[in-house]
Parts: sequence; structure tokens; C-alpha cells
Amino acid sequence: MYDVLIIGAGPAGLSAAIAAREWNLNVLVIDEFLKPGGRLLGQLHQEPDGKWWNGIEESKILLEKAKELNTDIRCGISAHTIEKTDHGFSVYTNEGILEAENLLIATGAAESPAPIPGWTLPGVMSIGAAQVMTNVHRVRVGKKGIVVGVNVLSVAIAREMQLAGIDLECMALPAINSATESHGSPKKVMKALLRIAHLAPSTAIRFGSRFMKGDGTKALAVKFFPKSGVKMWGMPIHLRKAVTRINGTNQVESVTICDITADGEIIPGSERNIEVDFVCIAGGLYPLAELAAVIGCPFQYIEELGGHVPVHNEQMETPLEGLFVAGNITGIESAKVARAQGTLAGLSIAKRKGQNLAKLENQIQQAKMNVRTIRENATIQFHPGIEKGRSRMEEAYYDIVHG
Amino acid sequence: MDRIVICRCEEVDLEEIEQTLINYQCSMREIKLRTRAGMGYCGGRTCRPALNAILEKVSGEKQPHQIPLKVQPPVRPVSLGRIGETNYE
Repeated sequence: MYDVLIIGAGPAGLSAAIAAREWNLNVLVIDEFLKPGGRLLGQLHQEPDGKWWNGIEESKILLEKAKELNTDIRCGISAHTIEKTDHGFSVYTNEGILEAENLLIATGAAESPAPIPGWTLPGVMSIGAAQVMTNVHRVRVGKKGIVVGVNVLSVAIAREMQLAGIDLECMALPAINSATESHGSPKKVMKALLRIAHLAPSTAIRFGSRFMKGDGTKALAVKFFPKSGVKMWGMPIHLRKAVTRINGTNQVESVTICDITADGEIIPGSERNIEVDFVCIAGGLYPLAELAAVIGCPFQYIEELGGHVPVHNEQMETPLEGLFVAGNITGIESAKVARAQGTLAGLSIAKRKGQNLAKLENQIQQAKMNVRTIRENATIQFHPGIEKGRSRMEEAYYDIVHG
Repeated sequence: MDRIVICRCEEVDLEEIEQTLINYQCSMREIKLRTRAGMGYCGGRTCRPALNAILEKVSGEKQPHQIPLKVQPPVRPVSLGRIGETNYE
């Protein structure tokens, strides 16, 4: 019986493990990937101050710290079911059943598809898969590709692929259908991008820094609507072109791309084919919360947080006694926020174990402040309404627990 | 129009899901039972967000707080032998 079982060895899970080990808790961290670090392993981008954020280095720092504290981390283990027991939780995995008094679910986020005709052909992948192949496995995803879907994440990853020497034709939107609407409408995509324009001239990924100087909003609006698109690091980003079809017999051979109106309607006669051998689809991220759903944790649908999120409070506790959450499962934010949330969750779990209260309470307050500060100082927000989403979750927790 | 596959495991396409939603004005559970979308090997892991988006678009209603298509264990593929196990190791 562990004091705490942590599912997910990303920035949230590892930080939580460190905090819990510092309070001498009996901790086990499991992760279904073959090595720890989570999505940190794929991240590589330049910060506004010019420094590089290297996720592999960041994960090494966390891992070394965890190892110094003799933390038990096991990879290649997938949890498929969780049950509440009298003393805590039974977690069913591909390696057997694990028992713990407290459980932290730090499973991060998953990608939504943006289904267009031909998206099931070999050679089509999610943008996150391309990131893992490029930066984690160091496998070249193809000779020449195209990114379908323009958002903060896909722009950052397109840049990473470019740095790795992979040839990308351009980025464009998916053709609109009822499953892709929010990603296929130039106006909606534009609006989402404009919400990060106030961060110009230099955002974390230098998104459009060249053309957002001065009145960033207007400049971006004007620049993004021309049919020629805008170039970033030499690669065109098109908001007025949509990929209507991915073509190929046994694998991707080309895509069909069309000009579109500001509402995303296809302009007849504008179609042409572009030869590519891979396609990256970017449909955005959502909190990966299946395990919290299976165990019966209540949920809230909060768009600002990325979708359905397990109800939790600022200390990362859920209404289910002993069940905690941290990282992207609580809302889509940066790895830095996830890391800070993990520390807070680890401390909250130590508190539940009845550790030295005055000192611990002090640390918890500091960790809470730290999460807030990091969130406020974030240069890139996946959703600009994140603070609003967070306070709605606080209210929901209060209503459910104290109702 | 070109066929757009939504549920890859069960090969259910967008048109069938939209038509079923329109014809039966139904819940996501009913969509699943009528079309098998989300019932395949992956347990709906791949198509769930797309199904939710389609429901939202066709019904014109924002998603409820309760997850529209109930998440059922096992949430990862696992052998029957493992499921039947009672002891650790």
C-alpha cells in the first residue's frame, strides 16, 4: 500500500512526487510511455527573453531531483481501471493491481482530431505525434508535409520540425464540416490568434512577432487575411486556404487545397493539389480525464480549460476523498503551470497524511501563490480566459462540496 | 461529397452520424448504440472529441457538464487474462 500513487510522469506528476518524497511519503509514479518526462520531452522553443525552453533538459532536472529522493518511477505501465476501496484506491494496470491510500491523476492532455476526407491514410498524423517522432524518437516524419490546423500548439511544433530540418510546405486550415468547425473558420481561428496578439511583439514562440509590432491586433488582422498568407520563418501560414482532401492510394501522396472566404466557405474553381508525403492534423488539446471519469469524479464542462475537467479546488483536491489532480487534466496550460500545480498537489497529499502542519501549511500557501504567479506571467496562454475558467471551477467545487 | 470517417475502429462516417442525429434527435449514447461509433477497439478515445463537436453543432446546444458519452473501463486495451486477475504479480 503506497501513501500515494501518481499516474503520469510528466511535469505535474514528477513535481508532485518530489514534493511528496520531501515529506517522506511512500510514493510510486507510473507512466505508460517508455520514459518519464511526459510531453516535456517534445518541447523546444524560444522564450520572449531569447532563452530556449528545452523540455528534455527540464525533465532531466526533475528526474535527477526525484532520483536523489529515491522516488520509485516505473514506465510502460498503463492504468485501465480504478476502484475506490475502504482504505484508498485499487489501480488496475497491465502489470497488475496497485493499492494506494491517495491517488494523483496527472495524465495531461490528448489531441482532438480534425477529420477531413482521407485523414485515415497512412502518413497522416496528429501534430503531437509529429512532435514526439521528431524530438523524442528523432525519426524523420517524411520528406515534405503540410500542417492542417493553425493554433498556438501547431505553430510551435511546426517551428520545431523546421529546426529539425523537415520540409513543411505550409500551414492551412481544415475544410469546414460539423466536426472541424472551430478549426476551419478563418474568423474563429483569427479571433483565437488575436487573443494572444496583445502579447506581441514578442510571444513565447515569437508568434508573428515581425508583424505584430505597433498595434498588434490590427496588423495581425490585416496580414492574416490576404490569400498569400503570412510567412513565418519562411513558411507560409494560410488562414484563407483550407485542405479539403488528403489524397493517396496506400499512403499520403498529395492534398487538395482551396481558397476560402472569411467564413470558411470554399471558393469554387480555386482547388489545386500539392504533393506531400505526410500531413499533420492539429485539432487542439483537451484534458485527458478518462480515469477520473471511471472512478466517478464529478466533471465540469469549461471551454476556457479545454473541455470536460474533473472538479477540483485550488489545492488540487477533488470531491472524492484522497483523489487529487494536477497538470493539463485540470485545464490546458503550459508545462510551467503543470509543474507548479504538481508541487502543490504533492504538498496537499502530505497534508492529508497529517504531516507537520504549521510548516506544511506555509509551504502550501507558497505553492498556491507560485501557481498563480506563473499563470499570470505566462507569455502564451492556450486559452485567454484561463483565469475565468479557473474561478468557475472553484465555484463548482464549492457548490458540490459545500452545496 | 467525399466520405469523412469519424469512428476509425468501426468505420462510421460523418454523414451517418449527422443523419442519425437529425432523424432521431438523440443522445450520444443512442448514436453509439445505433451506429457503433465509439464502440470499437480504442473505446472512443479517438473519435470522442469529434463526436462531441458534431453533437454540439447539430443540436446547437453547448455540451453538458456530464461527459456526453460515458467513459467505460478498461480505458486502455488490456488482455482478458489481466482483467480476470485478482492478485498483484
